[in-house]
Amino acid sequence: MIFDPILDLFRGKAVTIPPLDGAFRPNQALDDAPLIATLHDVDNAVVHDGQIVVSSGRKLLSISSAGQQQLLQTFDAEICAMAASASGTLAIALVSGALVLDREALPLPGEISCITALAFAPDGALWLANGADGIAPDQWARDLMSKGRSGSVWKIEPGSRAPRKVAGGLAFPYGLLANSDGVAVSEAWHHRIVSISASGRVGTVADNLPGYPARLSRAADGGAWLSIFAPRNRLIEFVLQEQRYREDMMASVPPEFWIAPSLSSGTSFLEPLQCGGIKTMGIHKPWSPSRSYGLVVKLDARLQPLSSLHSRADGIRHGTTSVAEHEGRLFITCKGAGMLVSTDVAEVR
Amino acid sequence: MAAANEIIVHLENVTKEYRGVPAVKNVSFDLRKGEVHALLGENGAGKSTLTKIIAGVVERTSGTMTHHGKEVSYGSPYQALDAGIAMVFQETSLVPSMTVAQNLYLGTEGFLNRLRGIYISAQQFLQSLNFPVDPTAMVETLGAAKKQMVEIARAVHHNAEIIIFDEPTATLTPEEKRHFFALVRRLKARGVSIVFISHALEEALAIADRITILRDGELVASGDTSEFDREKIIAAMVGRTLTGELYRKRDSSTIRKPGKKVLSVQDLSMSNVVRNNSFSIFEGQITGVFGLIGSGRTETFKVVSGIYKRDFKRGGSVELDDKPVRYYVPREAVKDGIVYVTEDRKSEGFFETMSIAENIFGGLLSADREKSSIISMSEMHKLAVEWTSKLNIRAINDNARVVELSGGNQQKVVIGKGLVQEPRVVIFDEPTRGVDVGAIAEIHQIINELADRGLAVVVISSYLPEIMNLSDRILVCRQGRIVEEFSPGDSTEAKIMYAAVH
Repeated sequence: MIFDPILDLFRGKAVTIPPLDGAFRPNQALDDAPLIATLHDVDNAVVHDGQIVVSSGRKLLSISSAGQQQLLQTFDAEICAMAASASGTLAIALVSGALVLDREALPLPGEISCITALAFAPDGALWLANGADGIAPDQWARDLMSKGRSGSVWKIEPGSRAPRKVAGGLAFPYGLLANSDGVAVSEAWHHRIVSISASGRVGTVADNLPGYPARLSRAADGGAWLSIFAPRNRLIEFVLQEQRYREDMMASVPPEFWIAPSLSSGTSFLEPLQCGGIKTMGIHKPWSPSRSYGLVVKLDARLQPLSSLHSRADGIRHGTTSVAEHEGRLFITCKGAGMLVSTDVAEVR
Repeated sequence: MAAANEIIVHLENVTKEYRGVPAVKNVSFDLRKGEVHALLGENGAGKSTLTKIIAGVVERTSGTMTHHGKEVSYGSPYQALDAGIAMVFQETSLVPSMTVAQNLYLGTEGFLNRLRGIYISAQQFLQSLNFPVDPTAMVETLGAAKKQMVEIARAVHHNAEIIIFDEPTATLTPEEKRHFFALVRRLKARGVSIVFISHALEEALAIADRITILRDGELVASGDTSEFDREKIIAAMVGRTLTGELYRKRDSSTIRKPGKKVLSVQDLSMSNVVRNNSFSIFEGQITGVFGLIGSGRTETFKVVSGIYKRDFKRGGSVELDDKPVRYYVPREAVKDGIVYVTEDRKSEGFFETMSIAENIFGGLLSADREKSSIISMSEMHKLAVEWTSKLNIRAINDNARVVELSGGNQQKVVIGKGLVQEPRVVIFDEPTRGVDVGAIAEIHQIINELADRGLAVVVISSYLPEIMNLSDRILVCRQGRIVEEFSPGDSTEAKIMYAAVH
């Protein structure tokens, strides 16, 4: 109707959440997946030299399919991102802001303090995602609540040691998938995947995801895997509209009890009620609103969602931060639950 | 014991014909004092017609009816009620603008009435039946289940010696059903005879003393409940393979894959009926929407198709092809290719005194798809011939008035009226309600063909076998929102019902 633009001034913009259906149809696949290892703060999994390497706090471990762990290295700060190249180079970023390339520290400009993801391009170039300016990666909730858009993507060319800023003004880039033309970036606070060319041109690839996307990784069939670390819910969307409320909340409430997405929930009675009605007759309904969720999405070659694995509100394998595919199996880190789980790729419909 | 076996009502070779087509044919039926008599059969088997003959709603064409040994012929429900026969209808016959208590006393009220006294005695009466209904509440504000309770209470209140329940449990929750069965047992203990029409065979087996089964208007079996089990009842009810084919479980290989997402509904809200409802509809498949009556499924799709309006503020969004749309009248939705085929065809679906041709052409006019602004009778006639043959609408000719057609053919006219608008999204609301078995098969075929042609099809139904047979994906609606999605391959009736109720 022609009056809609005027009426919209009174109605306000509809803030809605895309439904979990179609490719995002809920299931219990993540909760049903076999547990490989219980590791505190397990965060990033990559395939390196034919084995699965995971970060768990300050520790770097290799894990066999049967779950046997081998400690590879312990760092002086927590590991916040990893990447392995086809040639066997392992890049590790630390919360302290350091980048270690094959056990050698690389100097980084002061702007890079919050490395959330690393990815090697086919030509050996290393892409870096800097989530936000001036905060540590584990302070991501503060960046979301302040509606931060200070994230950036950097590139270190093969043979070079100096990172070059390719794109800035991003809303918490949390995942990278490099290709020969550029890189696909999951922009968490905008719930989307964007493509960034080597020259810095940004284009949207997949929009309006039902959660906050984390890391991307390559699938054997040419597609990709996307982990979504927390769900969108109406209460949080509402709080994100209320600036004064958010400011007061951030100033007076401990961060773990903010009305904000979380990697895990339900562990303290001090947590905010999740839109109410989470339990009926003692049963936690899987469809109830939740601050945390486990979601891994299979993307096709054009990075469009095909299918997904879930741990729903009544599950515990929440806070999925990365996926690695190796020899027909998926290795999924559930940071919120402190678990590494594995499932057969063929089971992902 | 002899008194317990006393036959109160006896029907002998009763036939009822509608325009020469028998709905009930040579049925002999008797009802004993203090018994619960279950009347079973498929949709269109003649159960409702038979009971309506007993309750004086319809007049029999031939045959005799005796009540307490005397031959009677009740010309109206009022006469039957006077004689102690009450019927609780599937569609409630309460006055929506009156309170529960006023409805209870309607017809038996005194010349002067004290409202407070009526409320107090109604409250006592409802409590004695264990029905948690506020006697001062307006009937229009009640949900389907509570309306049903008031309807039942009304029949009991009239001290009827025969109460006929036409599918009383269809809208009740399991808890309410337990209360209802306890009431039936109490009534039975008081010597009230009950005729109980149900689709739920387990209920009939659990509560009935005797069972009578009708098929295509004829009595096929009658006897004590102990003589029957589920398999025997089904065999007697079906008698042919048609129903087995109609409601068979879907083979997972025949489930259609979703095409492009055509409709995305996000956080749709309308008062407290539709509450933050979110779902998507895909091209080339049938999305079945199941929910109990009052779960907001019809209202949701009426908002989508512009019949109802969503909340002004925080009403959510509807996206057609990723573009937000907000329809103020159905015409806008129809122009965009969204067609809603109503569940209430009599009041919303067609112009009953107009012909088939005029009705179908009306659909074309509302979509602005007519060839010229001057109405062409030949175009109308051509269209009617085309759609009458496409949808196999059986009528004397296309000038037949829609009111003269059978339920199934009326439904086909409503469908034709929608399909002539060349839609992309077709929403069928209870497409086979009040439709005979033969027409159900044809309507199902039409729906399947639409999905095969790549259209996005939505089927809203309260009948689980229909949902499970037709759908490529099943959405379950509860309290104004979609709460669960199933694939027909991994769903069972119990799972779907659990999601719909809990």
